[in-house]
Amino acid sequence: MNNLQATAEGALAMMLEQGFTEAQVGASRAEQDEVYIGHNQASMLRSTEEQKLALSGIIDGRRASTELSDFDKEGIAAAVEGLYADALLAPSDEANAVSSAESLDYVDGPQERNLDLLTDKVAELLEFRESQTPLITMDEGGASHRRTESRILTSGGTNISTRVGSYSLLAFGTATEGDQSSSLAYAGGSCRNLDSHATSYFGIDEMLRTTERQIHTRPIEDKFQGEVVLEPSAVSDLLSWLITQLSDMQLLSGSSVFQSSVGELIAADLLSVSSRFDGPGLAPVTGDGFVAKPVNLVERGCLQTLLPSLYGSRKTGIEHCPSGAGWQVAAGATARNELCAGLDRGAWVGRLSMGRPAANGDFSGVIKGSFEIVDGQLGDALAEVMISGNMADMLRNIVAVSAETIDTGSEDLPWLRIAGLNFS
Amino acid sequence: MSEQTANISDPPAQNYREQRHHEVRKTRIVMVDGNIAVNSRTVEGGASARVFDRGYWGFASAPGSRIDIEGLSSKAAVNASAMSRFGARSILNVPAGSYRGEHRFAGKELMSAAECMELLEALHAYCREKYPQLQSSTFILHDEDHSKHLENSFGSDVTNAIQRAACYIFLTAEAADGRPVELFESISGKGSLADLQLSVDRLAPQIESLYQHLQAKRQAVPAQGGEQTIVLSPELAGMLAHEAMGHPCEADIVLGGAVTANLVGQSVGSDKITMVDYAHSYGGSEVLVPVYADDEGTPARDAVLIQDGVLTEFMNSRETAAETSAVPTGNARGYGYSDEPLVRMRNTAILPGTDKLDDIIAEVEHGYYLVKTGNGQADSTTEFMFGIDLGYEIRDGKLGAAIADTTVSGTAINMLKTVDAVSDDMHWTCSGYCGKKQPMIVSMGGPALRGKAHLGGE
Repeated sequence: MNNLQATAEGALAMMLEQGFTEAQVGASRAEQDEVYIGHNQASMLRSTEEQKLALSGIIDGRRASTELSDFDKEGIAAAVEGLYADALLAPSDEANAVSSAESLDYVDGPQERNLDLLTDKVAELLEFRESQTPLITMDEGGASHRRTESRILTSGGTNISTRVGSYSLLAFGTATEGDQSSSLAYAGGSCRNLDSHATSYFGIDEMLRTTERQIHTRPIEDKFQGEVVLEPSAVSDLLSWLITQLSDMQLLSGSSVFQSSVGELIAADLLSVSSRFDGPGLAPVTGDGFVAKPVNLVERGCLQTLLPSLYGSRKTGIEHCPSGAGWQVAAGATARNELCAGLDRGAWVGRLSMGRPAANGDFSGVIKGSFEIVDGQLGDALAEVMISGNMADMLRNIVAVSAETIDTGSEDLPWLRIAGLNFS
Repeated sequence: MSEQTANISDPPAQNYREQRHHEVRKTRIVMVDGNIAVNSRTVEGGASARVFDRGYWGFASAPGSRIDIEGLSSKAAVNASAMSRFGARSILNVPAGSYRGEHRFAGKELMSAAECMELLEALHAYCREKYPQLQSSTFILHDEDHSKHLENSFGSDVTNAIQRAACYIFLTAEAADGRPVELFESISGKGSLADLQLSVDRLAPQIESLYQHLQAKRQAVPAQGGEQTIVLSPELAGMLAHEAMGHPCEADIVLGGAVTANLVGQSVGSDKITMVDYAHSYGGSEVLVPVYADDEGTPARDAVLIQDGVLTEFMNSRETAAETSAVPTGNARGYGYSDEPLVRMRNTAILPGTDKLDDIIAEVEHGYYLVKTGNGQADSTTEFMFGIDLGYEIRDGKLGAAIADTTVSGTAINMLKTVDAVSDDMHWTCSGYCGKKQPMIVSMGGPALRGKAHLGGE
């Protein structure tokens, strides 16, 4: 991987020589080894290499970007020439710019694969399934190691180097008994080491056991307003909607429901969200060439910042916030097994299967991996039950946050109890 | 298209090798309110090798155009051999069958960057002038061109190109309560953007229609939650075909425990329902995503999933065909050079009937006409859902108020049994991606359907 720096430097020089007034080059290479499970058996060893050269050039405010996977000099030269022609045709926009003087040399996680470790973890997953949860068919799953090295250089003097290694585990399947099946269920994530039993990571153990209890389900016959306890995988959907509302596309079109909400309460004071840019498998870098900074996004319900890129910031006048990729929701004070206490009627929700929420945050979706809750007690597994509400209202209607969290690498999330959902 | 030959008579084998070169070229330009937010062209290429040996697979891939493919094949063989540490597997005879041929779409010359920019600027100017009340408009142009060459140990030698283009139009307005309301339209087809023949004049009627729907949606009422009589537009019926019964009829999902496993030969829908995953042709014409041989070099054939309401067969790869003693369908597809082939849909459709859409709506006393969807999801139970971005109430046989965004869901087997009308329309689309470990370009099609399903709402 020694030629990444040289490749990036060469490409940047070509771009400036071509006539770009500003330029950014990202060169990256990744190697991944994956021991794969198919239908309850180890089935494949997959070794992949990827490389990418991402070029973004600006001339007189006109910008174009390209990516290529061939690193030969002639190919890069042709790409730079084509990029220049594309940029000249783009409309001029003074908001276009590249980062300046950002500097980082970051190394994190296991840099070498350990095939024996990967096969051991797959063997543990398979042995657990067979002995502890035999009704599960592990349709997909496995253990993998990934190493990514990257360089980002800009004409403004930015020089960022990252080398990130991580392990990942996945278990994905269905429980069946006779002619009945559960919904598809999965758990997985990335981490820096695999010292413990495979099923102790990312809630895999609990997911497999819980899915076996969801083969025989029933619908809810009536409509009512109630509460939900969202598992972390469902909380991820809510968090994803929030981040989208605070990011470029919504801000540029002026359609974010939080466009003018910085400094205001947008959520219950139980909710605090902060960045996790240095989580396992993540490089603390943004796509537009900035070193990610710690960001307290929501503090006790109060929105602290929006998340525009450099372009979004210069276009809208909103303060630039290079946040990186990962997020965490702070753990609360309620033990997970106490979250149902006092809950009259509602559901425990494993994941949400839903359409893209409306621009105003309204949504409806099917609750998967779910159990009915009545008078504070978990009841039958549910099927064909929908909830509807509004994403922004859900943030405001959080009534409890669990003390426990699940850390999947890019996200570290607790369970949330939320009121005010319509069940049908 | 060159001369092609298919051979399906060779005996099965316990070992198998394949090598694939695969390049993907994409153009993506996004204009938000007249500003170019994305202006990108990408080329991603490389090669992969896959080996099946003593019941285990080995796979290896590398990027670029100058690849030691034999070295890659050796690495895949070493990987397959390394899996023997998990012990001996029962021997699986992989069905043979080979294909030799070359298929490319002979479309128009690509739109230049200048033509793309001119089109986007003209569309923005048109909307700004004609619809000043709009809060925002976004236009996206997307071109995607896959070129693959595959050789395998059964003698296949296939060059296959999958080329599709799409134009997306997003309009945002302010509802009466001050909150944003959004709708989008996608225009997609085989070939490149040039083959879509995009122009302001040609798109104006679709933009006007989208704007009128958006105005109706500004006054939207909530749908009534619970089981409802619904009429799915042809656009949505394609999504139903793909999500509700398509995924549960993929043989790897079946082997993973889908409820469809034990239903072959049984009724899973009304006798008005016939559903097919087409390989390369429908009604005498080439489909939007033509697959003549899949990424395992298997000669592709249509998979008739449901015939007159009865479940008939599943889509498969060589391995799942062996495991289920089925005849290969040619559904193994990999999205990029570093992706191993998985069982994926190609062009999945519910076939049209004889009813007229106007009559189907006119016969509904109280229900909903569901027009547009943004996305959908499937489950091994055949429980499906897809988001409804645009729909209308039906009252006494007439369309009423627009409804707010909602979700339609149900168990496909139950829902398809309630279908009592199928229109004579047929709408194909190939925008977006199907997601299943890897993304995939697919097309889906269908007529309008009337049945009962669950709507999210108050």
